[in-house]
Amino acid sequence: MSLLRGRARKVEASIFTASMADIVFLLIVFFVLTYNVQVDRTQVNLPKTWVRKTVPKNAAYISITKDGVIRVSSGKEMSLPVGSDEEVVTFASNVVAETPNKAFVIKADKDTKYEHVDKVLDALKQAKARVIYLLSEQKTQDDTNQ
Amino acid sequence: MKLEKRKIESEIFTGSMADISFLLIIYFMVTSVFSATRGLDFALPKQTNTTPEIKQEDSIDVHVMQGGQIKVDGKPMTMDQILPYIASKLKQNPDKPVILRTDPDATYNDMIQVFDLLRQAPDKIGMEIKTISIPTQREIQNVWALFGVQ
Repeated sequence: MSLLRGRARKVEASIFTASMADIVFLLIVFFVLTYNVQVDRTQVNLPKTWVRKTVPKNAAYISITKDGVIRVSSGKEMSLPVGSDEEVVTFASNVVAETPNKAFVIKADKDTKYEHVDKVLDALKQAKARVIYLLSEQKTQDDTNQ
Repeated sequence: MKLEKRKIESEIFTGSMADISFLLIIYFMVTSVFSATRGLDFALPKQTNTTPEIKQEDSIDVHVMQGGQIKVDGKPMTMDQILPYIASKLKQNPDKPVILRTDPDATYNDMIQVFDLLRQAPDKIGMEIKTISIPTQREIQNVWALFGVQ
């Protein structure tokens, strides 16, 4: 009868949002578990290597940009720029004095001149550092073919 | 007349929970960075009073020059030729150390590619290079000074 009268039946449109909170909480749990504080945020193009070992947590970071600007962090606070090679030696000596087995991570741009890396390595040797990691990205077969 | 007890309904207001959660998600998304946490490792020798002396003829000298050219024991080589040459030397003496020298004008990438190659020795030639030494310019100059070369 209603059809005959020409009345259209109303369809209510709604989005089901009850599960939204569950999804959001799952996402939060994911981020909380995977979140780690990055002490050094210097933007560098890392070299690519096949051999890669995991860097220990709380390692000290020394970053070197393409232009040779050096920033250091003991792994607890954000990285700070250093002005001279002597400052790198002082920084590394202080870190080693506090924690003798502390690992040092060198995060250098692949296009930087080796002399900048050499100076940092020399400073770490003078400070009697024991383990050094040269940060890199994973090399793939495509990189080899290029 | 009987007094009616007024019921107090207890409830926690959860209406703003979703808003707080979304704010937290935005915070974590903005501040989290996918960072590289892997790299090539090497251990420096422990400090001892007596410095072990390595004669040049007892070691394999890998020299990375400006432009990425490589000389091994003074002979120019390509990346593919290095490990077979080192394998032939290690067969004579498995403890032979490799000295990786890099010119200051070469790029860091030139050096790390050779270092990566040396670290792949167990997979590629089935032999491990027990000692890879990376001397710094100061150490090289000290050695030259010992021989009286300026």
